[in-house]
Amino acid sequence: MHLELSMKQAVIRRTVRKFAEERLSPAAGEMDATARFPLEIAGEMADLHYFGLEIPAEYGGAGLDTVSYAVVIEEISRASGAMGLCVCVHNSVSAYPIYEFGNEDQRRGFLVPMAKGQKIGTFCLTEPNAGSDASALETIATRDGDGYVLNGNKIFVTNGAVSGTNLIFALTNPAPERREFTVFIVESDRDGLEKGPIEDLMGMRGNPVCPIMLSDCRVPEKNRLGGEGEGMKIALSTLNGGRIGIASQALGIAQASLDVSIKYARERRQFGQSLSDFDAVKGVLADMATKIDAARLLIYRASYLRAKGLDHGKESATAKLYAAGVGVEVSRAGLQMHGGYGYTKAYPIERYYRDAKVCEIYEGTSEVQRIVIARHLTKK
Amino acid sequence: MNIAVCIKQVPDIPTIRMDRERMTVIREGVESVINPLDGVALEAALGLRDTWGGNVTVLSMGPPQSEEALREALARGADQAVLLTSPAFAGADTLSTSHVLATAIARLNPCPDLVLCGRQTIDSDTGHVGPQIAEELDFPQVCGVHEIHVETDALVVKQVSDGFLNTLRVSMPALLTVSQGLSVPRHIPLGDLERAFSDRKVIRWGLEDLGLQAEEVGLMGSATRVWRLYTPPPRRRGEILSGPPHRLVEHLITMLEAMGILDEEDANG
Repeated sequence: MHLELSMKQAVIRRTVRKFAEERLSPAAGEMDATARFPLEIAGEMADLHYFGLEIPAEYGGAGLDTVSYAVVIEEISRASGAMGLCVCVHNSVSAYPIYEFGNEDQRRGFLVPMAKGQKIGTFCLTEPNAGSDASALETIATRDGDGYVLNGNKIFVTNGAVSGTNLIFALTNPAPERREFTVFIVESDRDGLEKGPIEDLMGMRGNPVCPIMLSDCRVPEKNRLGGEGEGMKIALSTLNGGRIGIASQALGIAQASLDVSIKYARERRQFGQSLSDFDAVKGVLADMATKIDAARLLIYRASYLRAKGLDHGKESATAKLYAAGVGVEVSRAGLQMHGGYGYTKAYPIERYYRDAKVCEIYEGTSEVQRIVIARHLTKK
Repeated sequence: MNIAVCIKQVPDIPTIRMDRERMTVIREGVESVINPLDGVALEAALGLRDTWGGNVTVLSMGPPQSEEALREALARGADQAVLLTSPAFAGADTLSTSHVLATAIARLNPCPDLVLCGRQTIDSDTGHVGPQIAEELDFPQVCGVHEIHVETDALVVKQVSDGFLNTLRVSMPALLTVSQGLSVPRHIPLGDLERAFSDRKVIRWGLEDLGLQAEEVGLMGSATRVWRLYTPPPRRRGEILSGPPHRLVEHLITMLEAMGILDEEDANG
C-alpha cells in the first residue's frame, strides 16, 4: 500500500500551484467582486492543457491519470473556486463523456477543440422542475427526418455564458411507462439555442452560470451522443467521475481556508499572545487539518479506483459527501477564527465560505450521495 | 548553439526543518525543487535554443530521486537529460561535484558551445560550482549574468559586480552563471509533464560511464569537509538611544560602565 503521490503527481501539484498562485490568486478577489470570468487567464490555461486534463494526447489533451486530475482541480480551487468549477465541469462532465461515449467523428469534431480549450463545455441536465429528480426533466427531442428538434429550458448551467459546446439531456421517449432520455451535443451558435442572463450567485461568482433555452433547435443525428435512450446510463457514469472533481474543489477551498487561518492565528494577538497559543484555537486548527487529510485520502481512493477501471460509485459518492461537508465546516471555522475581520471583504475567508456551500448541492446533493452510498450498502 | 545546463535538486526552503540534536537538515518529507537560479539558467537556454537553434542538455549530479528535477526540465523543453548518480558521488564538496559535472559535459556529443549554471543554490549558497567547472574545462567564465546577446562568434553579456555594471564579450565555448532577472521560467503545459514522466528517457551515467576513479569523486575526492552545521544564535537587537546629545553621552557612559567596557577613570577621561 502506497499512500504518497508519485514523483510525477508531486511535480504536477507543484506546477499547478505555482500557476494558480501567480495567475489566479491575484485575480480571484476581483472575479468574485465583479462576477467576471477571466477569459484571458482561461486562454493561458488552455495553452497549458488545463481543458483536456484526462483526454489522451491524440485528441489534444494532457492525458493525465485521475489522481493527477484531482490534484489539479484541488490546486486550482485553492486559488479560485470559480475557476476550479469551470475546469472541473468542463473536463469531467462535458469533455470526458464525449471521449467515453462518442464515436471517432465526435471525438475529432467536438472533443479536440474542447481539449485544446477552444470551446468550453457544459453539462445541461437540471431544469426548473428537475433537480435531484433528474428523471423528471421535460426538455424534449422529437425525431425529425435525419435529426431531432429540441425544445426545453435548462437552468444553472455552469460555464454557460462562455460555452461553445453543450451536452443537452432531452426526452426521446416521454411515455410515462418508459421515459427515456438521450444526450445531444449542441453547439452554442446553433439556431434555436439561446442563453439567459448570468445568475447572481452567493458564491463561485466568477463562474458564468446561466440558463440555456432551446426553441425548435434542430440538431443532426450525428450530434447524438451514444444511442437513443442511453442518457441515464451516460449521466450516471459521468456523474461518478464528476463527484471526484467536486470533492477536489471542496478540498481546495478547505485547504485555502486552513492556510489563511494558520497565518491569521499566528499573527493576531489578543490577551497578550498569538491566537495560535490558545489551546482552544490549537484544537480548532487540528480538527480542520484532520478533516482535510481525511477528505484528501477519500478522494485519492476514489481516483485510484477510477484510474484502475474499477467500480468507484460508492467511493466517489463517499468522497464528495465528506469533502463537501469539510469544505463548509473548515471555511466556517476559519471565518470564525478571523473574527470581525473574517466578516469583511478584506480577507478571502468569507469568499471561501460562500464558495464552499454549493459543493454540497451540485452534481448530486449530499442527500443524494447518502442514498447512493446506502444503495451500495444494502443491495442484494 | 548547443547548450548544457547544470541543475541541482534542492529542498524547498519554506518546508525545511533542522534536526537540532544532530544539527543536520531534515530532508525526509521535504519537497524538493529545481534550484531557482538553475531554473532561470534553463529558461535562458531554452530561449537561446528557440532563437538560434541547437539543443539543450540538462545535467544533474545527485541521488536517484534527482531524476524528478530532470524530468521537470524535460517538460519545460530540454532536449536531453543526464543524471550523474553513483553511491561514490555521495558526500561531495563543490570541487568534487564540479569535477563530475565537468567530466560529463566534456563527454557530451556534440560538445556544448555554452554551459549555463545558476549563480548559487539556495541550500549551500557557495557559488563555487560554475566557476570550478569552467576552470576544469578551461572555458572563459562570467558570473552573475543578467543579460545575454548572441553575436556571430561570441556572446555579449552583462553582469553587476561590486556595484558596477559590466558589459563583456565572451568567446565560445564559455560558461556563464546566471542571476535573477535574466529570464522568468515558463509555466509548464501539463501534457508535457505527463510525457516527460511517461515517454521521455533520462540518461544515467555513473562512475564507470564517466571513466572516473572512486578517489576522484564524492567524499574521497573532496578538498573540504563539513565540520559542523548549525543555526547561529539569534543576534541581540541593539538599543536605540534618543534625546539631546549631552543626555545621550551621559546615558551611554553609564551603560558602558555597567557593561564593564569603561571604568570610572576612562569615564572621567
